[in-house]
Amino acid sequence: MPKLTLNGKEIEVPAGSTIIEAYKQLDEPIAHYCWHPGLSIAGVCRLCVVEIEGNPRLQIACNTQIQEGMVVNNNSEKVKTAVKWGLDFHLINHPLDCPICDQAGECELQNQYMEFGKYDPEMAEPKVKKRKVVDLGERVVLDTERCILCSRCVRFTNEVSKTNELGIFNRGDRSEVGTFEDKPLNNKYSVNTVDICPVGALTSKDFRFKQRVWYLKNKPSICTGCSTGCNVNVYYNEEGVFRVKPHYNKEVNGYWMCDEGRDIYKHINRKSRMLRGRYKQNGVWCTTQALEVAKKAGQKLSSFKGEEIAVLVTGQYTNEELNSLVDYSVNKLGSKSVFHWKNNENNWQDFDGHLIRGDKNPNTKGLQGVLQKYAVGGEWKELENQLSKFKAVVVAGPENQSVYFDIKEKIESLKSLECVVWFTAGENSNFEKLSDNSYLIPQKTSVEKNGHFTNHQGLTQKVEEVTTILPEALNLEETVSLMLGNSLDLSIRDKQEMGVLKTNYFSQERGSL
Amino acid sequence: MFKLSDEGVAYVKKELERYETKRSAIIPCLYRVQSENGGWVSPESINYLSELMDLPVAWINEVFHFYTMFNKEPVGKLHVQVCNNITCCMLGARELTEHISKTFEMGIDELSKDGKITLSKVECLGSCDTAPMMQINDSYHENLTPESAVKIIKDMVHGN
Amino acid sequence: MEIKLLSEHYDKKEFQSLQGYKKYGGYETLKKAFSMKPEQIISEVKDSGLRGRGGAGFPTGMKWSFLPQNGEPRYLLCNADEGEPGTFKDRLMMERAPHQLIEGMIISAYAINSAKSYIYVRGEYNYPIKVLETALREAYDSGLLGKNILGSGFNHDMDVYRGAGAYICGEETGMISSLEGKKGQPKLKPPFPAIKGYLGKPTIVNNVETLAAVKYIIRDGAKAYRKHGTEKSAGSKLFSISGNVNKPGTYEVALGYPLMDLINNECGGMKNGRKLKAVIPGGSSAPILTAEEVQKTTMDYECLAQMGSMLGSGAIIVMDDSNCMVDLLKVTLHFYHHESCGQCTPCREGTGWIHKIVSNIVSGEGRLQDIDLLEKISKQMMGRTICALSDAAAMPTLGFITKFRDEFEFYVREGRSKVKEVMAHA
Repeated sequence: MPKLTLNGKEIEVPAGSTIIEAYKQLDEPIAHYCWHPGLSIAGVCRLCVVEIEGNPRLQIACNTQIQEGMVVNNNSEKVKTAVKWGLDFHLINHPLDCPICDQAGECELQNQYMEFGKYDPEMAEPKVKKRKVVDLGERVVLDTERCILCSRCVRFTNEVSKTNELGIFNRGDRSEVGTFEDKPLNNKYSVNTVDICPVGALTSKDFRFKQRVWYLKNKPSICTGCSTGCNVNVYYNEEGVFRVKPHYNKEVNGYWMCDEGRDIYKHINRKSRMLRGRYKQNGVWCTTQALEVAKKAGQKLSSFKGEEIAVLVTGQYTNEELNSLVDYSVNKLGSKSVFHWKNNENNWQDFDGHLIRGDKNPNTKGLQGVLQKYAVGGEWKELENQLSKFKAVVVAGPENQSVYFDIKEKIESLKSLECVVWFTAGENSNFEKLSDNSYLIPQKTSVEKNGHFTNHQGLTQKVEEVTTILPEALNLEETVSLMLGNSLDLSIRDKQEMGVLKTNYFSQERGSL
Repeated sequence: MFKLSDEGVAYVKKELERYETKRSAIIPCLYRVQSENGGWVSPESINYLSELMDLPVAWINEVFHFYTMFNKEPVGKLHVQVCNNITCCMLGARELTEHISKTFEMGIDELSKDGKITLSKVECLGSCDTAPMMQINDSYHENLTPESAVKIIKDMVHGN
Repeated sequence: MEIKLLSEHYDKKEFQSLQGYKKYGGYETLKKAFSMKPEQIISEVKDSGLRGRGGAGFPTGMKWSFLPQNGEPRYLLCNADEGEPGTFKDRLMMERAPHQLIEGMIISAYAINSAKSYIYVRGEYNYPIKVLETALREAYDSGLLGKNILGSGFNHDMDVYRGAGAYICGEETGMISSLEGKKGQPKLKPPFPAIKGYLGKPTIVNNVETLAAVKYIIRDGAKAYRKHGTEKSAGSKLFSISGNVNKPGTYEVALGYPLMDLINNECGGMKNGRKLKAVIPGGSSAPILTAEEVQKTTMDYECLAQMGSMLGSGAIIVMDDSNCMVDLLKVTLHFYHHESCGQCTPCREGTGWIHKIVSNIVSGEGRLQDIDLLEKISKQMMGRTICALSDAAAMPTLGFITKFRDEFEFYVREGRSKVKEVMAHA
């Protein structure tokens, strides 16, 4: 491993590294726009300039490989001046519409100017005018005037999504990024271009103008959209979750995630949730706390014999949760009739060659492991064929109902049973159809609990509680414990939620205005 | 709907085979489209070419917009391109351009009233020893005066 | 005094055809080359001191020796994208002596063991392209191209590629991008084309004049070639001379020839007997020389570098005292603004910025601080980008405003040219 000196600090880097990678490894500040570790090197923003001892010309760090013994700095006056001017060149034709730009607060032009800028603009000529608010289809909006032509998005569509929609048309300061004739950018990975856009040229239709980013916090989590298990950051505040962005994981998703995964936050927020527990008695639905419904459901289930009870499970729960449920079934209820409910069987094996899988569950592998451990498990078809054998069914329903197209059908099939206990995070109007002795117990979503998911490749990844959306909701372990007759104190959660509501993230993180 | 002639399609097929990669055929094929489309390349024809060549439309559009010899708007039968680079300007190219513009009552990059002529200013055409000069369609006209330039254009309009 | 080497037969119409070319010893040098080993040719070219005639002046033999020593296929590209304002010598060569170029290219291809070459010609050169295409057909028909050329066992294919209007394609990696069917944007170096060029394969790009000169170096030997020129600037050079002289045109003289002699002897002196004001010695990107500097200038790489300018493509633009320097800088900057490919920020934004500033001055709306600002911006545009276009815009700007500062100041103060009435709107 070659050694070099960066800004006076000695560092050892993997052979073949570039200077910019060494700066990143050392966490030393270095200005740059076009370089992105997940894309080819463009070397066009010319901001990552460094001085290399023995070389009279400044070099760009992104395209310079490290040689043993190199002495490099980017804090000399020469470099600083070059970077200052480099930033000014970026800014002279950039519109000053930060107050109405959705990127403000996470704009690299703002951030890097604050850190490295000249603070003495000398441009007195009129700016080049370009097109604004160009509709690029379902998810992306383009502002060509804000674009600094770093070409990251173009390289993304050429190299990663391999869909080639984007290009930079014309030349010189008339260059404009876009698609041919504003064709929609409707590839399955399009929002990654928004993530990697350093400025407000590409913004997400779903997210823009919903929240100023300084009012959001973020924490890492795992995407529950399919069995790939992309690592993500969840952006949230007291009003809920606002967006999901990919978080680098070399083994799983690299720097990217699919657009569909971006939508998982939608079923997490209050609007889609089952807010309170319900049970049906004498033809009437009664609404009460989730934990009360769980207790009642537990009591009711104990009135059936083990062989009269079936359990239907989806791979949408953590390993810990699934284990407690199956254990409860086998060892407490005495039922070995545990069945695996999959989303659309027809494309269960699908894979697009990049990240998207037909198995729309974050934890199918984990579920299979638990079923194997207890030597149980059957397919839905088997349950359907012997349905008359059972009097009660316990359903660990999908958190993400949008990928379970057969949910209505399943409700229809199961309503003939004497008792249905259904764990669900989301609301669904079809639940109304269930018969007497049905129990609906609100569940937490993946961002509200701790545990592990095992992805398609058998990699077990941790999820940690990001935020509380619904203090009343339970996880499966809590539900099972309540069904067994144990008690649970939820008052702490209420306090937590109150705390969340009173937090002003802006003053907390950046100091007051 | 724009379509190439049968010969045009055959030309494209040949060009696709001619170079080491298909992509190299974009420039020659754009030339072909331009010549069959009356001197300019329409967005519609770029789409057509993308399908014919089986190459991403953005790639073709990038090339189309990068090179100045592909016309983005309809041009007249005579595309008068006066060099306005340094030597030609020293020797009166701008005065000459203005004279043509006034004579035929048309602005720069605009069609003349009868739609027959487009006047453009272009960069150095590599004929500085015969400045000022202009290119009309594919041929050079050199050592011009405002009067001789107008005469050449008039003669060409009248088909001489 | 003119030298007749590359331009010896320019005056003969028949020299354009294969038959005519052969009459004057055409393709005899190729036979000689085939009797030599490729290494011998490379060392002959090295010994000749030949430097690239396109603009950069890089030693040709050395460029060739950067190729990897393995069997990997490699390409030879002839740079005929002559676009540097003021330059027209390659056009003349292609029109008058196409086979001279083709012969030089086959010899060069044999030396570097390349089976495929392209002549990349700028799109505007419609007539030269037609001449070249005819010449290539003749060459194929006579077994001078294709398989087993002249029984040598050497195979080589050659094709013409027509550009479509972009100055930047004259930059060798811009040309490679263009030939690959992309925008003609220069590529990051390293890797250099000799290692990874056209389609990622080793590639040598040489100018038309350079490749033609190879023929004469092999024909006469390096020693004979070196008889012309100076120690560091060997051989003859084709100069394109234009502007306010009596006989503008292409002249071949030995490198090291005094610039004043070129103007007074070959070009018949200043037109209308006017006074010499300045000369751009190497194409519009070469910093301008004042009349005083011109007196002591010889046309070779060292002298021009010493004068703070460059030999460039050998395009000499001669200006008399009727020219307004502010106006001509505007014309020059319009060109670079128009031609910047747009990928590197300092060039994309800088070329537009300085062009706007000078245009403002010409419109009578300049500010006194603009002149210093031009200098500041230009300095930050230099050495900051992938290719030299940014420098090519900055260098003449610095030259003009330094050497003719009084004209710029006058223009800003008075709102009009010190020299003449300028068409400010054009």
